[in-house]
Amino acid sequence: MVHIFPENLSSALASMEIPAKVIAGCTDFYPSLENGHVPDRIVDVSKVDEMVGITKTTPGWRIGGSTTWTKIIDYPFPPAFDGLKAAAREVGSIQIQNTGTIAGNICNASPAADGIPPLLTLDAMVEVQSADSTRLVNVEDFVLGPRKVDLGTNELVTAIWVPETRNNTTSSFLKLGSRKYLVISIAMVAVTLSISPQGLIEFLNIAVGSCSPVARRMPVLEKKLTGLRAEDLLDDIRIEVGDLTGLTPITDIRGTSEYRQSAVRELCQSTIRDAIVKSLEIT
Amino acid sequence: MATVTMTVNGKSVSGEVEGRTLLSDFVRNNLNLTGTHIGCDTSQCGACVVHVNGKAVKSCTMFALEAEGSSVTTIEGMANPDGSLGTVQQAFQDNHGLQCGFCTPGMVMSAAALLEENPNPTETEIREYLEGNICRCTGYHNIVKSIQAAAAAA
Ligand SMILES: Cc1cc2nc3c(=O)[nH]c(=O)nc-3n(C[C@H](O)[C@H](O)[C@H](O)COP(=O)(O)OP(=O)(O)OC[C@H]3O[C@@H](n4cnc5c(N)ncnc54)[C@H](O)[C@@H]3O)c2cc1C
Ligand code: FES
Ligand code: FES
Repeated sequence: MVHIFPENLSSALASMEIPAKVIAGCTDFYPSLENGHVPDRIVDVSKVDEMVGITKTTPGWRIGGSTTWTKIIDYPFPPAFDGLKAAAREVGSIQIQNTGTIAGNICNASPAADGIPPLLTLDAMVEVQSADSTRLVNVEDFVLGPRKVDLGTNELVTAIWVPETRNNTTSSFLKLGSRKYLVISIAMVAVTLSISPQGLIEFLNIAVGSCSPVARRMPVLEKKLTGLRAEDLLDDIRIEVGDLTGLTPITDIRGTSEYRQSAVRELCQSTIRDAIVKSLEIT
Repeated sequence: MATVTMTVNGKSVSGEVEGRTLLSDFVRNNLNLTGTHIGCDTSQCGACVVHVNGKAVKSCTMFALEAEGSSVTTIEGMANPDGSLGTVQQAFQDNHGLQCGFCTPGMVMSAAALLEENPNPTETEIREYLEGNICRCTGYHNIVKSIQAAAAAA
């Protein structure tokens, strides 16, 4: 077995020119090893300088792919990132957050990946690099299906970009599990929104995870609620079945399809309310 | 096989490992530090928690080679230099924070990491921090009490 530990991006990308298994925090990698069989060639990207840490630039925030959930929780992001931070706190446990990374969460592409819905509501993009190219892909287009992402064998996810948000943006993330801690989501909802000085919903992004092969935005519901009075929504948010498009919740050991279907509506209402309350607090 | 070198409990150690050797197996088999327990193969139980460069991690979720050059503390490193129990360990003993003891090394390591970050945690904060440590015996009550006592004693 060859085990490569590049410390800078150019050597990391060079080492990807020969097929290899990428590892970072290994928190998805180990539990999924079958019979302890380890791939022959491993490139560990957890210490690649350019892939660790968060920087604020003019077009937005760059979160290095190998940034751990703990670093994301500790970073002084504006309230627009509260949903992402809340999701980070839900990834496994403290020890898992200390080593598990944002790129690992996305690339593992579990339908229940907690990091993905908040990133969808932030219109985040994935920076994908190989030795001779760099491209930016929307998270939405990058995650193709369970365990399937738009990544060539010689490419790495080097960063996640979150475009600049308006000052008054707030966000929220709620996860439904069968117990409080260390649990895989039955359903989760992320919401990012802002409220105008007149008290109207200016924009509203909603994403639902664990209820379809890939987490999805809810454009019909977003459109329906945009422009409404935020305070009215605290009392009553009508969500009809047709507002939640593209959800195909499965029946599995964690819950039935019907249960997920009704739980997700409730969860959407609670998450939207939570984000509105936060927004009214800061304005 | 490759040679890995790291600092464990303040001493520089090195050993021959296969690429696939986990840090948990390295400390147990190569270093004979069997206080670090292995309770699952899904990174869930937390019996194997050690500190790597000051952060609590599950040592079954790291190759030994990934810890090259790191400073690692295991449960054996929690005792005082004269071999007597350290503050957190003593608090677990005094407050009956264990029954079978299988989860205890991991509990103590997580508790120590918590107290490092937050010297005066509330009960809720303690329970939240221990989400990655599973105990099948105690019902957690006395574990929480032990950590509160350790906080008070420090
Ligand atoms: C006990 C436990 C509980 C968990 N609970 C949750 C939970 O509640 N919610 C949740 O969402 N997840 C959970 N997870 C899953 C996991 O912790 C997260 O998905 C984590 O973010 C994965 O990151 P990692 O760095 O450990 O990935 P790794 O395991 O290192 O890698 C995961 C995959 O991504 C690929 N990869 C990693 N980095 C890159 C990169 N830069 N470029 C290209 N490919 C890359 C790897 O090849 C691999 O296929 C849990 C895991 C455990 C063990
Ligand atoms: S042995 Fe169970 S978490 Fe490491
Ligand atoms: S004391 Fe037995 S598992 Fe915790």
